Amino acid sequence: MSKTIVNALILLLVLVPAQAVIFNNLAIFGVALPLVFIYVLISLPVTLGTNWTMTIGFLSGLAVDIFSDTPGLNALACTVLAFVRRPVLHLYLPLDDELGPAPLGLRSLGLENYLKYMLTMVFLYCTLVFTVEAFELFNLRLWLLRIVCSTAYTFVFIYAFASLASRTRREKKL
Amino acid sequence: MHELITFFARNSKWFVFAVYVVLSLMLLSGGDPYHRHIYLTSANSVTASVYDFSNNATGYFNLRERNSDLNRRNAELQSEVLALRQQLEVMAEKIYTDTMVMDSGMQPFRFIVANVINNSIARPFNYITLNKGTLDGVKPEMGVIDASGVVGIVSVVGPRSARVISLLNPHFRLSCKLKGTDNFGSLVWDGRDPEVAQLEELPRHTVSRAGDTVVTSGYSSVFPPGLPVGIVMDEAGSDHGDFFSLKVRLLSDFSALNNVQVVVSDMSAEVKSLEAGEAEDEERAKKAFN
Repeated sequence: MSKTIVNALILLLVLVPAQAVIFNNLAIFGVALPLVFIYVLISLPVTLGTNWTMTIGFLSGLAVDIFSDTPGLNALACTVLAFVRRPVLHLYLPLDDELGPAPLGLRSLGLENYLKYMLTMVFLYCTLVFTVEAFELFNLRLWLLRIVCSTAYTFVFIYAFASLASRTRREKKL
Repeated sequence: MHELITFFARNSKWFVFAVYVVLSLMLLSGGDPYHRHIYLTSANSVTASVYDFSNNATGYFNLRERNSDLNRRNAELQSEVLALRQQLEVMAEKIYTDTMVMDSGMQPFRFIVANVINNSIARPFNYITLNKGTLDGVKPEMGVIDASGVVGIVSVVGPRSARVISLLNPHFRLSCKLKGTDNFGSLVWDGRDPEVAQLEELPRHTVSRAGDTVVTSGYSSVFPPGLPVGIVMDEAGSDHGDFFSLKVRLLSDFSALNNVQVVVSDMSAEVKSLEAGEAEDEERAKKAFN
């Protein structure tokens, strides 16, 4: 378990600054924002307790918030995302016993299940972030556009990460 | 007691969840962007050094455009200097016959050159991070401009970094007027198009044409008066009862901010102490009256 947490923290040390320096600047038309750092949260193994998942989520969200001057926004969304992670997974995979301590990815879930699970998580996250933002400044058209476009944009990046991760793991085995 | 502990252990995830949600909500409702703790903003030393590092790598992009921009600006300033010099000569001749005291028009403003190391335009509330801080003389509530116009206002300052509330942030209202008139309004961004802001609270009788320049009013002593901000986009403003508002195309390109100047106003402190003094006087007067 501690190894999983250390791995997650190392990945966050790379992804959080990358989110701030690279991905926050890749916004398209002000509506599509790739929120890629949630990849860490999405791929944590199911065997890790929800409390740990939420702690990692809260801290990573807070770190991104500090970088992008949105205090509390990503921290809140990440906490909620970590909390609903297991129920979301159960929508598509009734039993998670056989998954074991492997990180959730293309290899452990299979392509179809992984895409369903990941898309749901990304969509939930984007909805959370842009809805909380909309509390202060509401514009229906922008709100919907931001959710849909950012979900699609983030989905593409995280799918790329996941396929990279599955490939490197396969190569290691060979 | 034992049951209580098992109850907590079994439901611990709900408690942890509640604690994190409450913490996040507290951060979210922090309110006033001027009074945030520096550790919670991008001006803290860790984030600023990460941004500084990446800016060192990406700072060379678009150098060609930036250079031609600066050349254009330089040419404009040179022609302005020439025109002013001519005017001075004419005035100097006049002064022999006329003892009128010349108003130099110079305001006690200085500029600190800074680099933008982080900037956003896609958010509803945008902030900018600069690579200059208290050690360079930057203080909160100083204005920030670039070669084309107004950029924002400093809110939180660290030793070597500062966080600026962008003009693309509805928390920031800028006192402006239409150039050549005395019709004042306040410029505010509505969170939609990063190139367009609204000039609000204009008196109803204001006459404006598309293409009119919007400049700073200079009422706040944060920005020098007459600094260009934007161009009026359409003649027909929208009506809000006693006031009306105009759409303004902003002059600064917020998607490509790099070199900016922090406006140091020597008057600003003076005005503030005067205003504080006024408030004290008023209180004293009230006390004396009672």
